[in-house]
Amino acid sequence: EYGEFQTFQHYFKQINLSKMAAEGRTVAPPVRKVIIHPVVLFNIVDSFERRNDNCKRVIGTLMGRYDKGVIYVTESFAVPHQETDEEVSMGMDYAMRISEMQKKVNTNMYTVGWYSSGIQINDYSSLIHSFYKVQFPSPVHLTLDTALKEQKMKINTHITLPIGVKNGTEGCIFTPVPHEIKGSEADQVCLKFFQGLKGTRKTPNFNDPEQIVHSCDDMMAQINVILGYVKQVSAGEIPMDKEIGRQLMEVVQSIPNLESDTITNMLNSHMQDLLAVEYLTYLTRQQLAIGARINQIL
Amino acid sequence: MASNQQQQPTEDMDSIQCVEVTSQVIMKITRNCQDELDKQLDPHVSGVLLGLINENKRVLEVTHCFPLMNSDTDESMEINREHMLEMERSLRSVNIDYQQVGFYQSTYLNTHCDRNFLDSVFDYLEEMNEAIAIIYDPLKTKLGHLSLRAFKLSSAAFNLYKAEKDFTAEMLRDNMVTYENLFQEIPVVVKNSSLTNVLLCELGHVQDTTSYFTLPTSSYLEKSMQLLLGGLDEINQDLLKINKYQKSVYKKQTDMMKYIQDRKEENDRMIREGLKPLPEEDVNELFKDPAPVGRLESLLSANRITSHCDMIEEHVKSGIGKLYLADSFMS
Repeated sequence: EYGEFQTFQHYFKQINLSKMAAEGRTVAPPVRKVIIHPVVLFNIVDSFERRNDNCKRVIGTLMGRYDKGVIYVTESFAVPHQETDEEVSMGMDYAMRISEMQKKVNTNMYTVGWYSSGIQINDYSSLIHSFYKVQFPSPVHLTLDTALKEQKMKINTHITLPIGVKNGTEGCIFTPVPHEIKGSEADQVCLKFFQGLKGTRKTPNFNDPEQIVHSCDDMMAQINVILGYVKQVSAGEIPMDKEIGRQLMEVVQSIPNLESDTITNMLNSHMQDLLAVEYLTYLTRQQLAIGARINQIL
Repeated sequence: MASNQQQQPTEDMDSIQCVEVTSQVIMKITRNCQDELDKQLDPHVSGVLLGLINENKRVLEVTHCFPLMNSDTDESMEINREHMLEMERSLRSVNIDYQQVGFYQSTYLNTHCDRNFLDSVFDYLEEMNEAIAIIYDPLKTKLGHLSLRAFKLSSAAFNLYKAEKDFTAEMLRDNMVTYENLFQEIPVVVKNSSLTNVLLCELGHVQDTTSYFTLPTSSYLEKSMQLLLGGLDEINQDLLKINKYQKSVYKKQTDMMKYIQDRKEENDRMIREGLKPLPEEDVNELFKDPAPVGRLESLLSANRITSHCDMIEEHVKSGIGKLYLADSFMS
């Protein structure tokens, strides 16, 4: 049943930790950086908004892959859990089951850590972390500050390192790891669109000519900045920088130097191609419409 | 023309006016389609949309989605079905809406509009009256525009498809279904919660690296034209088939008349000679009706061609503007 929680004592009795140590499963690979895909953060915020009334924080599994010291986090899902002052329990079977399902759809992913909302890291966190250590030797713990302390939504990533005296009191400490939020180009297009919404609702299909005008304005602004810089350098106010000068030369020289006749010919023929294509599509569309009307009448 | 418009079925007042999508769903769809496009394993990526219907505002909210595997073989369809059931049960325990409100599919230059798509839309509509299909165009995103459109079958087309899987011309005429009102597009709106907006602010300024000034010499235009020609070829072949059918119907009529005439002459001759007339035979049984040509494929082709034309037109309009810009740079 999906609603069942297991306490950690019960779980750790089931699996044989020493056996795993013998197999070498607990050797932790070094983790130098965490690269997070933006979808993961959206998922976390969404699962926080859908939490039950009595929960103060939500936790969930992070999935992705590990490559040469960098953990790539590409997917996440929420895991039901309960936290009281005395004990904590979570749906471990649920977590395992969902991670298996995700692996079926996307075979390159495996569990790489877990997340929780709220920046607090306490004893319960280390318990939950040891559960995830069984599945991945060096899990990353991501916290997202949904309480918005310091007026910001801070994102922190940690791994644990063992501290203590060997054969004596051993424990682990959560140390921060640098992280980076990176998506593909398509994701950047989406994010830029979302940021442009500014809290309102908007339809995604926008106008190409408008976009060109917008980009032209941007370019004008950039050219003005460069022009201002060049004027200042030639007037002697700012010392010149050879690197910038070289790059400016490259930009100016990248415009092809052709005779004006050739340019006009090329442009005209291109224009004619486009106009011909537009006429053809117009014709096709009218033809189809006529055909459909005839069908209605006959 | 005017009378035609008056007879068209009016929109159901309870129908959905717009579809609200959260940015989380859009990011997931984008990531899923983009990954598959990069791997080039499968040009048609699809998945299930989950959400709920807001009766008061007549809005369909899409709040979650998950991808499905390509369902060509029976085995993968079975896996997909199990996957959907599992997800439904699991999502219930984390308070995520588990009601399926439709599916999403990626398209390649608007070629998604075929028989499979129609079948899927119909299946989802049968289960839920307001199910929609969201089409995502990854190539448009490469050009810098997020393209997400929601479609459903118009009610006339839905009733017709329910009754008969392949249409004839008379059925289309009676139900006022043309290639234009086969699919109905519903506006898509992106809405974010306040916490998501905070997250967006936190992510900082996103550098948009797409260049909007690329001249329209790209293969995009060429491919669109090729697809347009392909669609026109298909419609041409359908027209030939319809012509053949009409000729055979006409031929059947003339053959029937000729047979009846011959019979009559034969009977008259027999009566004159004093013999018993031949028994009357059912003429219709002798001459079978030729099978009517299905009009569904040509409808879909017409739909596809119109969307190609739209795309090309848009592309050309902006292309002309960019050409003038380039001219000012070079002269």
